[in-house]
Amino acid sequence: MRAGRKTPPSVRRSLTAPITVVMAILAAAGLSLTGAAAPQAGTQQAFRADPFWPKPLQQSWLLGSVTGVAVDSRDRIWVVHRGMPSFTARTEIGLATNPPTAELCCRPAPQVLAFDQTGAVVASWGGPGQGYEWPTSPGGIDVDAGGHVWITAAGPPEAPGGGRGRGGAAGPPPPEDAHVLKFTSEGKFVLQIGQAGKPGAPDSTTGLRRPAGVDVDTATNEVFVADAGNRRVVVFDATTGAYKRHWGAYGQPPGEALTDPYDPSAPPAKQFRGLSCVRVARDGMVYVCDRQNNRVQVFRRDGTFVSEAVVSKATRGNGAAWDLAFSTDAQQRQVFVADGQDQRVFILDRATLQVASSFGNGGRWPGTFYGVGSVAVDSKGNVYTGEALEGKRVQKFERR
Amino acid sequence: MTSNTRKQNLWIGAIFAAGLIVLIAAERAFERAAEAAQANGMVEAPRFEVDPTFPKPLPNNWLMGMAIGVGIDAEDHIWVVHRPDTLSANEAAADQTPPVGTCCSKAPPVLQFDQQGNLIGSWGGPASGYEWPESNHGIFVDHKGIVWIGGNGAKDAHVLKFTQDGKFIAQYGQLGKSGGSNDTQNFGRVAKIFVDPRANEAYLADGYGNKRVAVIDADTGAFKRYWGAYGNKPDDTNIGPYDPNAPPAQQFRTPVHCSELSVDNLVYVCDRPNNRIQVFTREGKFVKETFIAKRTLGDGAVWDIAFSRDPAQRYLYLADGKNQRVYILQRDTLEILSTFGDGGRQPGQFFAVHSIATDSRGNIFTTETYEGRRLQKFVFKGVARGPRDQGVVWPRR
Repeated sequence: MRAGRKTPPSVRRSLTAPITVVMAILAAAGLSLTGAAAPQAGTQQAFRADPFWPKPLQQSWLLGSVTGVAVDSRDRIWVVHRGMPSFTARTEIGLATNPPTAELCCRPAPQVLAFDQTGAVVASWGGPGQGYEWPTSPGGIDVDAGGHVWITAAGPPEAPGGGRGRGGAAGPPPPEDAHVLKFTSEGKFVLQIGQAGKPGAPDSTTGLRRPAGVDVDTATNEVFVADAGNRRVVVFDATTGAYKRHWGAYGQPPGEALTDPYDPSAPPAKQFRGLSCVRVARDGMVYVCDRQNNRVQVFRRDGTFVSEAVVSKATRGNGAAWDLAFSTDAQQRQVFVADGQDQRVFILDRATLQVASSFGNGGRWPGTFYGVGSVAVDSKGNVYTGEALEGKRVQKFERR
Repeated sequence: MTSNTRKQNLWIGAIFAAGLIVLIAAERAFERAAEAAQANGMVEAPRFEVDPTFPKPLPNNWLMGMAIGVGIDAEDHIWVVHRPDTLSANEAAADQTPPVGTCCSKAPPVLQFDQQGNLIGSWGGPASGYEWPESNHGIFVDHKGIVWIGGNGAKDAHVLKFTQDGKFIAQYGQLGKSGGSNDTQNFGRVAKIFVDPRANEAYLADGYGNKRVAVIDADTGAFKRYWGAYGNKPDDTNIGPYDPNAPPAQQFRTPVHCSELSVDNLVYVCDRPNNRIQVFTREGKFVKETFIAKRTLGDGAVWDIAFSRDPAQRYLYLADGKNQRVYILQRDTLEILSTFGDGGRQPGQFFAVHSIATDSRGNIFTTETYEGRRLQKFVFKGVARGPRDQGVVWPRR
């Protein structure tokens, strides 16, 4: 490929003006519609967008709609994106069409990418292979303590507001995703739970339905799956894939699917509505993103309901609670919630589940978002976000 | 021969063979390095650095849709025209009834920024007294401070003039009245406007429907002249899609996407899907042409141009929204000296870089259409030796 994509030292200049995309934002006017807890004065938490992270991708690669971000034990940042089906063939990927329509740019990057702290790509893989079913559309990603990379198969994606699924190939729709995949960090297949095209019912011990989130609990060697299509959290043995238990909203059985759209004035729904993440804190508390109910629900490992928090009550559409991540201090005092409808990252106090502050807004510039649907935190407290839909970015927010 | 001698000979042979392999490998490596150096040799050209802090975040939770035009006025203010209605209900969620979310709302179509990136003006849209384009396209601020806007909607056959506060001045041509490339009353989906301050004439890149450059009196709108590719009379016969192996088309392929007049009175026309710039006198006499990324299909490579701001306008900057590049050409030879940019959503990268303009300090401003939807600033860092491909022009950290 072409040489010299990086600006060589001879033409580099020191960055005279400091990057002023400062995201130190007390939840203010933007939260007036949310009905969430009023921000506490003095809880300012400063993050600063790093416009130069990651480094430009090589080989004319483009990120598609990002569905998951995770940080591994070596502080490498893992990203999974939707690849080819998330691109508009006519305008975006002129090197990947037949015949090519462009001379210089661009083509989809491999769907799984890992970046080091400098923003350089250190791993890239993904796609169909022997012994497993690559997702029609990936969902969440997690890297466990042993370095294994877990990806949910969550397709076909919903199509909210134009972004998703426009660049897809013609032909019959692929089988509905219904599984979770485990790989080595080099992309070697290890384990698949569930089968594409064979979704299980909400009480199934073997089948899933468009699972959206995954997290491995190191302490128990269990993998927690946000089984979106079945409105439940399911727990499996992380080594064997053996079923262990499951539960729905408030720790009850999953129940019937909600057919009516979310109504902010209605009593809290008894079922999950668009379950989109599950994360286990170090103290064993299990947090789930009930995306279109705009809430985070908290459970014990055994599914006993503990508490819940609404992050943006009036939000409709795709909902406000897309993904969450814990701060990396010993107590994990904060919870970051990515809201891809309101284009914010909320910062919650984990003990009280009150919204302390937020950062971000809508836009295509550094520090602004479109479809911010995934979030992760590194050991230094820096926050990484992934944007779905037409956002198609991974961004770093330095903790100041 | 003893077996020992045979062994010895074998060893000597092996050593020679190994030596030869090393030599060949070294030779090949040298050749490869030389090729690479040639492919990305050092050239003297204008150098730029992206400013990731420009512009400042828009107020009012506003979003830009497809950013379809950029122009600079005499005070170095940056004018952008974009298409609010290309924002989906999901993006403009706060505009819905009831609101779907707190973010965001559609910004008005015309936005004015100062040099610090503050939004200092915003207006535009349908009102009585004129026909706002079905799909606004291109913006130019002339020597009298008048803001010109074109439109490439199916029925757009007109251009509009406004004061900088958005007060309507004049409309030339009428919605839905286009009579094709030889109509002298209406236009055919105008992409861009340039006003010649010396002759007070407006050059219209006409356009998405027509295959011509049209020149009108900038004060009255009176029709003056028009021409097609090579100065030919334009012909609206469908000539099919662009074929890189075919002889150069004798007509422009729509859209004719820019028509810019240089200080030495040459008209540079973006013949977008034909991947070429054609150069004319002010009267429409063909002077020369050059091809850019000739194998580009579909949208084509020649989207918009801007001149460098030295008195002689020595350089020409060309935006290629298909290959996600800005090319730097030497204007007199039309030779590509250098390029910068690449595909992506980060600063200095592009998705469909559609429009380009320069301010008095030589800085470049670009806007992106489709899902790019940004205004970006590239700070002029002087003319210097450096690699031919400047890549993604980030500041040194």
